Amino acid sequence: MPSFTPTRRTLLKTGTAAAAFATVGPAFLRQAAAQDVDLAPYKSAQIDWQQVSGETITVAVIPASYFENLITLAPQFKALTGIDVRFEKIPPAQIRQKSVIDLTSKTGTYATHAADPMYYALYAANKWVEPLDTYLADKSLTDPAWFKLDDIIPAWRSANGIDGKLYGMPYDGEVTIQVYRKDLYDAKGLKPADTLEAYMSNAAALNTPNDRVWGAALRGVAGAGQNMYIYPSIFREFGGDWMKGGKLTVNGPEAEAALAWYVDIMKKYAPTAAANWNWPDIADAFSQGTVASYIDAHSSASVINNPEKSKIIGKVAYARWPKGPSGKRTTSIWNWGFPINSALPEKKRKATWLFIQWAASAETQARTAHKFAGPTKRSGVNRTSVWKDPDYIKLMNGFGENFVAATMGALQEDTDVDWRPRVPQWPAIGDTMATAIQSALSGQATIKAALDDAQRRIEPMMRG
Amino acid sequence: MATTAVTSAEIASEAPRSDFGRVLAQRERRFAAALLAPAFLALLATTTFPLLFLIYTSAFRMDLAMPFTNGFVGFENYRTLLADERFWTSLLVSLVYTGSTVALQVIVGLALALLVMDMKRGQGWFRVIAILPVVLSPAVVGMIWRTFMLAPEFGIVDYLAINAGLGSKNWLGDPTLAMVSVIAIHTWQWTPFAFMVLLASLASLPEDIYEAARLDRASAWQRFRRITLPLLRPAIVMVIIMRTMVALTAFAAIFTVTAGGPGTATEILNLYAYRKSFTELSIGYGSALAVALLIVTIIISGILFAMRRAK
Repeated sequence: MPSFTPTRRTLLKTGTAAAAFATVGPAFLRQAAAQDVDLAPYKSAQIDWQQVSGETITVAVIPASYFENLITLAPQFKALTGIDVRFEKIPPAQIRQKSVIDLTSKTGTYATHAADPMYYALYAANKWVEPLDTYLADKSLTDPAWFKLDDIIPAWRSANGIDGKLYGMPYDGEVTIQVYRKDLYDAKGLKPADTLEAYMSNAAALNTPNDRVWGAALRGVAGAGQNMYIYPSIFREFGGDWMKGGKLTVNGPEAEAALAWYVDIMKKYAPTAAANWNWPDIADAFSQGTVASYIDAHSSASVINNPEKSKIIGKVAYARWPKGPSGKRTTSIWNWGFPINSALPEKKRKATWLFIQWAASAETQARTAHKFAGPTKRSGVNRTSVWKDPDYIKLMNGFGENFVAATMGALQEDTDVDWRPRVPQWPAIGDTMATAIQSALSGQATIKAALDDAQRRIEPMMRG
Repeated sequence: MATTAVTSAEIASEAPRSDFGRVLAQRERRFAAALLAPAFLALLATTTFPLLFLIYTSAFRMDLAMPFTNGFVGFENYRTLLADERFWTSLLVSLVYTGSTVALQVIVGLALALLVMDMKRGQGWFRVIAILPVVLSPAVVGMIWRTFMLAPEFGIVDYLAINAGLGSKNWLGDPTLAMVSVIAIHTWQWTPFAFMVLLASLASLPEDIYEAARLDRASAWQRFRRITLPLLRPAIVMVIIMRTMVALTAFAAIFTVTAGGPGTATEILNLYAYRKSFTELSIGYGSALAVALLIVTIIISGILFAMRRAK
């Protein structure tokens, strides 16, 4: 047997083979992993998942853990349907603009995208996205007994519907709730606030800036999805009505009282910097122990319970919004939903629907939440049945006392589809109001002047 | 007979030379045009066409939120613009911002240049250090200042202010302080440019004039005012022109730091046009605002160039 002598030719051949395997191998391994996963829960649906096999769609999402988990499971969808899904991650501030530009130019770049529920009025007015009723009613595309539309949180379906038609399927959502330091509250004999007035007095009692602890913080930074995400709840709780007498009205006594409360608490009991804070800043400050309470998205619970950063784990508790003078509690009705781009050809629209159905299904919601192997657990699942699952409840209660009760209470009792004005002009109105709120917050304008100015700017927008 | 032959020969030799020259010149012109064409077309495609499209768009109502009202409206957007209080406010903010930051850049840049010019050692290092802010992205600069430097109670600037006995300030939440902050940030980032240009100009000044001035016992101030400043005038004007152009259209840093806030305190015209077009989705009106900004920029540039020609 002659001994093996390496030559240039053999080295090149070996190298080429190794490179080829390195390129293709991982894909095969991923495919194998996807095949090994149990797809039986999906195949029990009485539809042909492979009916548009071979299609490719692009989905725009924000860079958030609840979408990361979905992206991780996408190979299962490919194995189930033969449809390739390409994800594009776009920050929240830009995804609205990019989506609108894509929809208005009808390029069909994004088959679907994580959509702001306040934009459906705009989308529907322009006929940019499909009414989903058509797809839900088509028995070749949807198995109603399997999909169980009614199991999806009703408030979020209402938020994504216009004139009774559903335009976006809720995937992940949130409510705003009261988050507080139980240890600090207990030490002073305080209970979570039942009224806005009580919330203010709790903040006053705990406000000790010299010890670098402030009583409360709310979003101060201007934005339709920032300070104009919190203010509408206060506005409604003070008895505000966006469509007073059928006309969009943002000023008036209820608005002035609501904004006065907001400005008061931020000026008296919040860190000065909070005037420019968004929710991540608030959650970070709370994690460091410098804020005693805040009202914001329930999903911020995962941030304040991050073991790598937080100093207050085990000391947190939750409650629903305090009531306003009107006797109402109003939480946010926010969710990221998936619409179908009308500019797509029919086959791609069907592929997009199959993706949406898969993503919103109870099985996928569970697999991206308490059944997910990775470190991050979702707290914004769209299924009532998942929220009642003992495994899920156990996972969620790890965030702190009363988390599930506060969140479900808010979802079932405190949601209000008219929490914000649902009109096509929302992008402009939201921004105008956000600016007005910040003007009042910074002292650039008085509360009445800021609101009257906003009203003056909004009126021409509403004229057809 | 010999004379006739010579004449014919002369005629024959003259014609080819003339024709050859003309043909050669023509070929060179054609070649130059061929070389220029791609760049010229690229320029047309990326500046002229978008500009014309912008002007065209500004003559329409193009409101994505109310598509049924869209259509040609002529100068309606401009009439609305002239009556828009927020337009005039943002124009004023733009002028204050631009004027302040350019003035500061020139003054500080010149001061630094004069200082470094007299350094015996370390000038090279100083140049390298000075250039660093310029190479950073304005958005990155804005984010660093917003989160690490200017946050009340938590930022470095606030820490220094507290220790200096000034107390905590809401640098980005107070209308006046926010304006001061964005001017300071822009100045901090772009002064090195003015510094570098003026330093190079200083280095090129003739030494013999200063020698003569010293012989006449001119003071340092007199030398600066009567020799340095007049000789630097072209460089200073050039710096003013370039920095003004940049400041008028500055966007990224302000957007990152304040997004035009608090309220509308730092909303330069650029930001207002952006909000109208892409946040409020009133693209026609947003285009009109952008055209207005273009006109303002052209007017100011014209004034500055005229100033440059004045000798």
